Amino acid sequence: MATFLRILGIETSCDETAAAVVARHEDGRGEILSDVVLSQLDEHSAYGGVVPEIAARAHVEALDGLVEEALTRAGVSLDEIDAVAATSGPGLIGGLIVGLMTAKAIARASGKPLLAINHLEGHALTARLTDGLSFPYLMLLVSGGHTQLVLVRGVGEYERWGTTIDDALGEAFDKTAKLLGLPYPGGPAVEKAAQTGNPNRFSFPRPLVGEARLDFSFSGLKTAVRQAATEIAPLSEQDVADICASFQKAISRTLRDRIGRGLARFKQEFAALDVDPALVVAGGVAANQEIRRTLQALCIENGFRFIAPPLRLCTDNAAMIAWAGLERFAGEFPADALDVAPRSRWPLDKQAQAVLGSGKRGAKA
Amino acid sequence: MIVLAIDTAGVDCSAALFDSAEGKVLSAVTETIGKGHAERLMAVIDQALAGANLPLERVERIAVVIGPGSFTGIRVGVATARGLALALGIGSVGVTTLEVLAHSYLADHPEKQVVAAMDAKRGEIYAQAFSGDGTALNQAAALSAENVAELARSFSAVVIGSGAAASAGTGEGAGSDRFDIATVARIGAEKPLDISRPKPLYLRGPDAKPQTGFALARS
Repeated sequence: MATFLRILGIETSCDETAAAVVARHEDGRGEILSDVVLSQLDEHSAYGGVVPEIAARAHVEALDGLVEEALTRAGVSLDEIDAVAATSGPGLIGGLIVGLMTAKAIARASGKPLLAINHLEGHALTARLTDGLSFPYLMLLVSGGHTQLVLVRGVGEYERWGTTIDDALGEAFDKTAKLLGLPYPGGPAVEKAAQTGNPNRFSFPRPLVGEARLDFSFSGLKTAVRQAATEIAPLSEQDVADICASFQKAISRTLRDRIGRGLARFKQEFAALDVDPALVVAGGVAANQEIRRTLQALCIENGFRFIAPPLRLCTDNAAMIAWAGLERFAGEFPADALDVAPRSRWPLDKQAQAVLGSGKRGAKA
Repeated sequence: MIVLAIDTAGVDCSAALFDSAEGKVLSAVTETIGKGHAERLMAVIDQALAGANLPLERVERIAVVIGPGSFTGIRVGVATARGLALALGIGSVGVTTLEVLAHSYLADHPEKQVVAAMDAKRGEIYAQAFSGDGTALNQAAALSAENVAELARSFSAVVIGSGAAASAGTGEGAGSDRFDIATVARIGAEKPLDISRPKPLYLRGPDAKPQTGFALARS
């Protein structure tokens, strides 16, 4: 389908309320016409993490206003939109319900198709919006909720090569920050403290280094940090800085090993094909400069292009949801019925074995 | 004016169409489903529209039940109402569950004062007093059974709803928190159209406490 398309995107799966209008030109090029995000950071900071009920309450009060603003900024009316795309999972169910119901109502009232989008697919396809990347490529998603290495073969074709078997990487940053009395969110706080720290003072474990499988694990590292910190408490500013620097070093080492193996596997798998290998990062942890430097160096060594979309498109946003909708719409994937249910759990790769969090709600991600 | 009323705050998933000029209920659909409102609501609205033989574009106002009730259920309704209002370019108003219960009772017992009382579990009752013409006499709140009884005494009001028995009220209208969706439409049609959009009425905090004692001591 080679026509000009515009889609309204809605994202409410965690603690950002977001709406965006994105266009897809005839040649397949994407263009963000508007992209508004309302962060709930202040509402949650006192709790040291996202409180689901507080998040849901904030989404329902703000979302319709943000949709109006996104339309106004894009200079389009609902009549000029081709479809409505909303995150319908995975994520916090209270927020997903608000976004999906708003999208259903707008789709029904404007007579446009509804596209229920997997949040992870939004992250996975962002590099095609920002950099026009072609398939296949590797995507590393590192956020507060996810740590996954995914092979992106095409729209709707994903293979999860590695995932965390316990905590997400962003979670490890948040918990380390909490332990050290640093503010929430932990990522930026730990990174800042690490700048004046000695990365060699503590020798923290580098989980799964040397293992052939591509999974991640961060809970042991978290425990090691707690033990080392408890031993020397009360902590001075320098102690905190040293712990943060040593923690970041351990993470960089782990990622170097884990992702290095992933890059090798990609090269092996696509050796016969004329593929220009690329690694894309997404998720809030991709903002960490040391992790970026590590990945960048690794990519250079292995002859990979390193693609890090601008930070506001790495963290949760609605432009990526609109874009995933555009890719699906242009690929003539079917629209969703208005009885589609939000899904707190929704693995991107349906074939992948559940590594953790399997139960009646299914595999976690 | 054609009003579309929706309710997803309790076990029911309901929609009704009401013509306020004629004072006539055009259609009403109620499915008692307990959960799964997010999946069913659009179909229930479509059934109500089909029953009234009206396209959605003819709707001129949305009235939605904003609680108290199931937090998630309330948000299903409010998000839908606000989304529809935005896309149709029409107004939307919120109607409280307590107000609907009171109006339902007063329709059969005019000129009485009434306290609408819903069992909120955890030893609390959502309650509010209304005069015989349906005007609220105090702010809705989550109260103890004693406080509801006190409220009823102070207004010489009869207590109705699932919280009536617990508050040792007269129990005249006691029992259920169920209501006819058409009542929501009637109340919604009368409300002044505020600039502010319908907001959930939770009557309870989000049940989260700031974490303390997790961080290690600093020197």
